[in-house]
Amino acid sequence: MLDKIKSNFTTQTWVLIPIAIAINVAIGQLVLVLKLPVFLDSIGTVLVAVLCGPWAGALTGALSNVIWGIAFDPGAFPWWPVAFFIGFMAGKMAEWGFFKSWWKVVVTGIVIALTAAIISTPISVYLFGGITASGSSFITAYLLQTGQGIWSAVVSTAFLTEPVDKITTAMLAFAIIQGLPKRTVAGYPKADQVEIEGGSDKNQMYIAIGIVVVLILFAAFLLRSILGG
Amino acid sequence: MHERLSFHIKRDSVLHRLNPLTKLTLVLALIMVAFTSPWYWTPHLLFLFVIIPLSFIGKVFREFFFAATRLILPAAGFLFLMQAFFQPIGEHVIFKFYFLDITQESLMFAFKNAMRVIVMVSSFTLFLLTTHPSELMSDLTRRGLPGQFAYVIISTLQILPQIQSKSQTIISAQRSRGLDTEGNFFKRAGSLVPLVGPLVFGSLVEVEERAIAIEARGFTSKSIKTSLYEIADTSFEKIIRWGLIIIIILSIVLNIWL
Amino acid sequence: MALVNLQNVTYKYPLTKTPALQNINLQIKEGEFVAVVGANGAGKSTLCYTLAGFAPHFFKGEMSGSIEVAGKESSKSTLDEWVLNVGLAFQNPFNQISGAKYTVFEEIAFGLENIGVPRDEMKDRVNDALALTGITDLADRSPYSLSGGQQQRVALTSILVMQPKLLVLDEPTSQMDPIGTREVFSVIRKMAEGGMTVVMVEHKMEWIAQFADRVIALKDGSILLEGKPGEVLTSDVLAENGFGISRYTSTAREAKKQGLWKKEKLPVTLDEAVEGFKK
Repeated sequence: MLDKIKSNFTTQTWVLIPIAIAINVAIGQLVLVLKLPVFLDSIGTVLVAVLCGPWAGALTGALSNVIWGIAFDPGAFPWWPVAFFIGFMAGKMAEWGFFKSWWKVVVTGIVIALTAAIISTPISVYLFGGITASGSSFITAYLLQTGQGIWSAVVSTAFLTEPVDKITTAMLAFAIIQGLPKRTVAGYPKADQVEIEGGSDKNQMYIAIGIVVVLILFAAFLLRSILGG
Repeated sequence: MHERLSFHIKRDSVLHRLNPLTKLTLVLALIMVAFTSPWYWTPHLLFLFVIIPLSFIGKVFREFFFAATRLILPAAGFLFLMQAFFQPIGEHVIFKFYFLDITQESLMFAFKNAMRVIVMVSSFTLFLLTTHPSELMSDLTRRGLPGQFAYVIISTLQILPQIQSKSQTIISAQRSRGLDTEGNFFKRAGSLVPLVGPLVFGSLVEVEERAIAIEARGFTSKSIKTSLYEIADTSFEKIIRWGLIIIIILSIVLNIWL
Repeated sequence: MALVNLQNVTYKYPLTKTPALQNINLQIKEGEFVAVVGANGAGKSTLCYTLAGFAPHFFKGEMSGSIEVAGKESSKSTLDEWVLNVGLAFQNPFNQISGAKYTVFEEIAFGLENIGVPRDEMKDRVNDALALTGITDLADRSPYSLSGGQQQRVALTSILVMQPKLLVLDEPTSQMDPIGTREVFSVIRKMAEGGMTVVMVEHKMEWIAQFADRVIALKDGSILLEGKPGEVLTSDVLAENGFGISRYTSTAREAKKQGLWKKEKLPVTLDEAVEGFKK
């Protein structure tokens, strides 16, 4: 197990991580300049996760947060576990073969979004009582005013805001990898995970359908509780 | 841009001379106690009577003050406003606007949370002002942190300003070619790809050569690494560190107890 | 005894069809300064990577034949052991800055820290290396604040300080002015005289002619010609195969056709040309 993890941390991996962190930060700032309603601050994390495995992705995510905290917004520190698990899940999804075609990458984006929502909720509730310095807290505040409990208000907000951002992130990471010369990609420990495949595996299709069903159910629950409240 | 990422101010003070790990433990203790102490005024007092005096001891008060006003106050201030308005707790309404209301309780809650963030950020800022990154990394590597971590942290701090200035160059170059960064939503979203592409591909293609360069200099060597710098540590500092860890544990225990 | 011994070396990068090196046989003596010339894609850089162990240990791909440096066989070694004997510096200086260090002094010490050289010895070696390549005055600067030529010197120094038995250089002076180039060539000459074996890819023919002991001309992954610089660099074979040749050589070749160049041997450097035309 440990040896397997170690084999993913080649010199190329170590060199890629700082560049990926810088990409996270630079694109995150670019999005601010373009005033787009997404963050896109984990493209580098997903790149590392997919090319070098879940642990490398997790490390990239966590360090990105620390660096972002040091350099720009110190309020970012407490959120490092979110970035950690974004990287980890992206890596796991790629290991399970979900980074080989467009629709699978969308599924990966959804899974990353769910992960981010689940991990960020307790941090938001325990450290900040549900209201953070982020713009999406307007939604949380509204849900709280409609009489929802704090947990469901925070988790609903995350489920409303995360998917668009994380699906876009995963798609951009996929586009970047497909745009790189094959020779460049081949140098990374997990290069075979991003080879585009022809036919699809049935099991993967079932998993994907399962995820979409859960998502629809949750959206229905969300809608009912918002309208009902 | 470069200066923003290297906070370190080279001066001779007790704080500068402390072992980096001692300072790091102190920062951790301040943050943990601020967040876990059950007593309401803890973060406020820690900031006034520990962190500010330390900035004088470290001879960096001026820089500390500027960093605080630039970085900390906007973040903490925004958090304070958001919380004061949106926390739906308390009975004593002071101010009401549509569905938003400020109560005495939400105000107090917001104040405490903002102060916690201030303690977290300001203690960390103070640490960065008085500790050189390579000093910290040498010390942690000596204590067993894999050398690759030191590589990652320091090269990130050095690469980031370069990628940012590259990003600035690309934005202005694409703008001068008529790229729309101000138009409607779809135009702006469409602008993303021509901006991200050149930024990312160049850096990713360089990875291979950079990896070769450091491998040629023994990056993957199995021998025990040595360090160019010797970083002082005393048994007195070791006692301080253990004392701080005990304080952290006490604060957490009290938090759970009460 | 030969320090470097390549026997029937053929190498193919992954995802490629044609070999980058084909049937290379090459012996290099200890203390010899060998220059490698050739067009783009002739296999110069691949030869460097092969000698330095990166092909196949880093790039993977298919390697056949035997590669021996300092009595060790490449296929039986790991890259981290191999780099203790063979140092590599290449063209783009910017990518050779480790990024992990804030000053030139620390940057040059990086390799010594990695291989565990004791602190006092490390400082002495870094100071000596800085003095050798003439960049002592840059010691406290940030490697990122330097010019391309200065960065190339730092890259070279960072490898020299590790005291490899074989020094492999892939166009190490591409961003230097003529004065800088001359200095670097004399430093390398001095290292070779001190017993270090040097293999250097370079297209500045005048400098090769003055400083190298032997020239190897590569074409399509094979050795086309090898021998003394004065012979190889002026050979008609080189000119016919589209190699970049010294302007003094091509001028004299034209002059010879017109009967203006009387000597048998063509010049490579300005001095040789001047002397030849005087007669």
